[in-house]
Amino acid sequence: MEETEFDDILDDWFIESLKTYKDLHVYQLEHPTQVIEWTSGKTVCVAGFTSSKNEILELRLPLKLFADENKGLCAERDFKVVHGGFTDAPVRCLRHIPGTRCVVTNDGLSSDLQVWDLGGDDSDVIRRTGSVDGSRGVSEGGSRIAARLSSQPQVLHGAESAGVRLTQLTSGQTVYTLETDSADPLSSLHFVSDAVFLAGCSNGKVYIADTRTSAAPQLSPPPPSSGESVLWWTDASAGPSCLDPSSCRIVRLSSCGQTVISDLRNPGGAVSRAQLDVQTRRCNADDVRVSWAPALDDCIAVSGFSGAVQIYSSSVWTTELQEAQPLFEHRGHAVSSQSDDGVPVFVTSHVWHPERPRTLLSAASDGSVHVWDWVDQSAAGC
Amino acid sequence: RSCILVSIGGKNIMLDCGMHMGYNDDRRFPDFSYITQNGRLTDFLDCVIISHFHLDHCGALPFMSEMVGYDGPIYMTHPTKAICPILLEDFRKITVDKKGETNFFTSQMIKDCMKKVVPLNLHQTVQVDDELEIKAYYAGHVLGAAMVHIKVGSESVVYTGDYNMTPDRHLGAAWIDKCRPDILISESTYATTIRDSKRCRERDFLKKVHESIERGGKVLIPVFALGRAQELCILLETFWERMNLKAPIYFSTGLTEKANHYYKLFITWTNQKIRKTFVQRNMFEFKHIKAFDRSYADNPGPMVVFATPGMLHAGQSLQIFKKWAGNEKNMVIMPGYCVQGTIGHKILNGQRKLEMEGRSTLDVKLQVEYMSFSAHADAKGIMQLIRMAEPRNMLLVHGEAVKMEFLKGKIEQEFSIDCYMPANGETVTVTTNPSVPVDISLNLLKREMALGGPLPDPKKPRTMHGTLIMKENSLKLVSSEQALKELGLNEHQLRFTCRVQLQDPHSDTDTLHRIYTHLKSVLKGYTIQHLPDGTVMVESIVIKVSSSTEDPNTKVLLLSWSYQVKQELFWYCGEI
Repeated sequence: MEETEFDDILDDWFIESLKTYKDLHVYQLEHPTQVIEWTSGKTVCVAGFTSSKNEILELRLPLKLFADENKGLCAERDFKVVHGGFTDAPVRCLRHIPGTRCVVTNDGLSSDLQVWDLGGDDSDVIRRTGSVDGSRGVSEGGSRIAARLSSQPQVLHGAESAGVRLTQLTSGQTVYTLETDSADPLSSLHFVSDAVFLAGCSNGKVYIADTRTSAAPQLSPPPPSSGESVLWWTDASAGPSCLDPSSCRIVRLSSCGQTVISDLRNPGGAVSRAQLDVQTRRCNADDVRVSWAPALDDCIAVSGFSGAVQIYSSSVWTTELQEAQPLFEHRGHAVSSQSDDGVPVFVTSHVWHPERPRTLLSAASDGSVHVWDWVDQSAAGC
Repeated sequence: RSCILVSIGGKNIMLDCGMHMGYNDDRRFPDFSYITQNGRLTDFLDCVIISHFHLDHCGALPFMSEMVGYDGPIYMTHPTKAICPILLEDFRKITVDKKGETNFFTSQMIKDCMKKVVPLNLHQTVQVDDELEIKAYYAGHVLGAAMVHIKVGSESVVYTGDYNMTPDRHLGAAWIDKCRPDILISESTYATTIRDSKRCRERDFLKKVHESIERGGKVLIPVFALGRAQELCILLETFWERMNLKAPIYFSTGLTEKANHYYKLFITWTNQKIRKTFVQRNMFEFKHIKAFDRSYADNPGPMVVFATPGMLHAGQSLQIFKKWAGNEKNMVIMPGYCVQGTIGHKILNGQRKLEMEGRSTLDVKLQVEYMSFSAHADAKGIMQLIRMAEPRNMLLVHGEAVKMEFLKGKIEQEFSIDCYMPANGETVTVTTNPSVPVDISLNLLKREMALGGPLPDPKKPRTMHGTLIMKENSLKLVSSEQALKELGLNEHQLRFTCRVQLQDPHSDTDTLHRIYTHLKSVLKGYTIQHLPDGTVMVESIVIKVSSSTEDPNTKVLLLSWSYQVKQELFWYCGEI
């Protein structure tokens, strides 16, 4: 595409964005990231995933975003690299341990985890402090990781359903192991309360277990019409604050765009379904993300199928499988990417801001990171 | 404030001479006592180089040259030379006239200071003296900003000043060739930021202007007149056209004059691509932007006005501000930093009640927006620059050591070079390996090559024998004979002798013959001769035999050799 042509399309999108976004920030990292993880209300961690040397960065979000009343007086629009570190392997999964300055990573090559100290005010270096052994055996996709606030820092991890373990970070001791009949590769792990967690498998199965008991986990089979090569991703809403199981929702998204929402009390049943408008021509298991909005009702964000992040409102969905249109689509990455090799850009990760209802961060394969606060154009909905 | 002293090859250079905008007392000036405790600086400095016109890089220049005292050359680019005095005068007016300060430079001092300026062109080597040369490179950032390459002999330093690596609408990106300086000096402050894109900043600007206009408000944009105003005008014009907006946009007349002058300056400084954009757009012939008349400020309805000066400290922009401040529908957009003491500075600090002349107060009800459009390099940019210049060492200034360890590690790892981070007042010494270029005479070169062995390999040094002659400014390596000839000296040959005693009853001749035979058998590959004059020669070593006068059975071997004899040969001789 000619430069002027590209500029025009980009200008058009930016002009359109005046109405469709409240805030918009566009950044370019030196290397693309597959992870975006909150380490505090104002900082996130990102990391590279090349096969050799990579950086882990803790970035502070622009002050302007948080300035609120005096927003106009704050000109500060940039990310600040507050801490940085080096790793010799790719970072495929990164999780912050709440209540600590610790993050845990997995390189996607084995099920072992690396433990890091993000550092405080006296240094800007992120240092490796140790590791956590994963379960032995075949593991292709690398481990999923989950953590919640607890008196003793603990991490829940595993690459397959049989072998998910809860490990104490300081002692390295395993305090709980999930036992399942089959070893299904995992696509996600989530805590829904201090003790209850969800293990979402790539084949669509969901295990619900309680770390306090040794009772067998509850198994929810894959949604119907799931084929052999179909992959599934899961998210559970309202994590640690979910005291009432009925308000905990599970969303399952397939590589064909089929979405099923169930609630925790009855994970096998479907509260609602929809066929999402996702391009399924390319689908890398590593990149797809589906997430519930933490501060909006019934809103789900989906990314990884293309260069866009889509927001859906599930409140209008029914138990009948019908096509759903996104409430909002962030096409910033696709529009502003100038790929030299003809490979289209795709979104590698997204996260919602924990408190600001419509603010998200998204990252793409070209190294771009966007922070955006979208405007809900519809009358009803989120 | 930026002010760096570099000592290289016996030369002392001052890089930038900035003012610290946060202090009101003498701490705002650099501490020149590092150069000399009292007295003028002329004898201690070979030159001063200013990177660009921002006050934190040139604000203390007239103070240094006229109040402390410096009469040597001050180098800066043409645009910097044109713009500096304007900014310095504005700054002086605010500080002295408005704030009533006394220890400050005068208008005459600014003029006298600028008389010492020698303007630089891009990529042109300037000989400061016969040993020190400097060259300016394009830095982007603001009009006339330069990075400077300083060379003394084979040692060099590159100082970046402020620069940016992403081109924008009116400035290109910084560029430098693979000059491989011994040290690259750069700001660290921006190295730990990742910058929001230019388009997002522009978007924000358009959004704010549009929102105000939509609700019938008036937007005042105080500008310095140079560069940014032009860019923002083009932006608004494009937007107005696209959105078919009707509200009028004005620029004040003071702007036009300065801008025309700036335009001419600018056009010769900028690159081809940007020149084209500007030439197409005939300076102030915009479709939607018209010249302002002060009576328009009272017109009802929405409008946008660009007016000078940029910090609301006087003139037209202040007049308009006073009229519009009381209406909350209106807006003022400050596009840059404001010096302490100005209204701009006060409102950016959130002040909503201002004391004006004649004890009247002004209620600030309009919306105040601070937008920064300045272009600075970031973490990625600094790595790009290092890749371009390939320095042997890196020096980061103006950062906090604990906050730069990661960057230091990153640079050291990726480029395998040392990275220094001195604090203000600290001295860093960087050891360089200067290469001394020496000419070699053709004869000597041929002779060395004729000695055989592997071809000259830069990685495998070989010892050679020659004489280094230093004549005037040239160094030449010649053979010893040639050196002696050139110097008119006689060659002296040194021969060493030693006497070895042997117990041998045979005659002198027989003993000699036995020695000859023995040496011939053990020293294969060497030339051994039994000469008719009664000596044995092993290469150039001479062996004579004589009997001791006291005892005919004791033979004395006289060994004589010249300086160049090979060690191993000598050892064999000892075997006898």
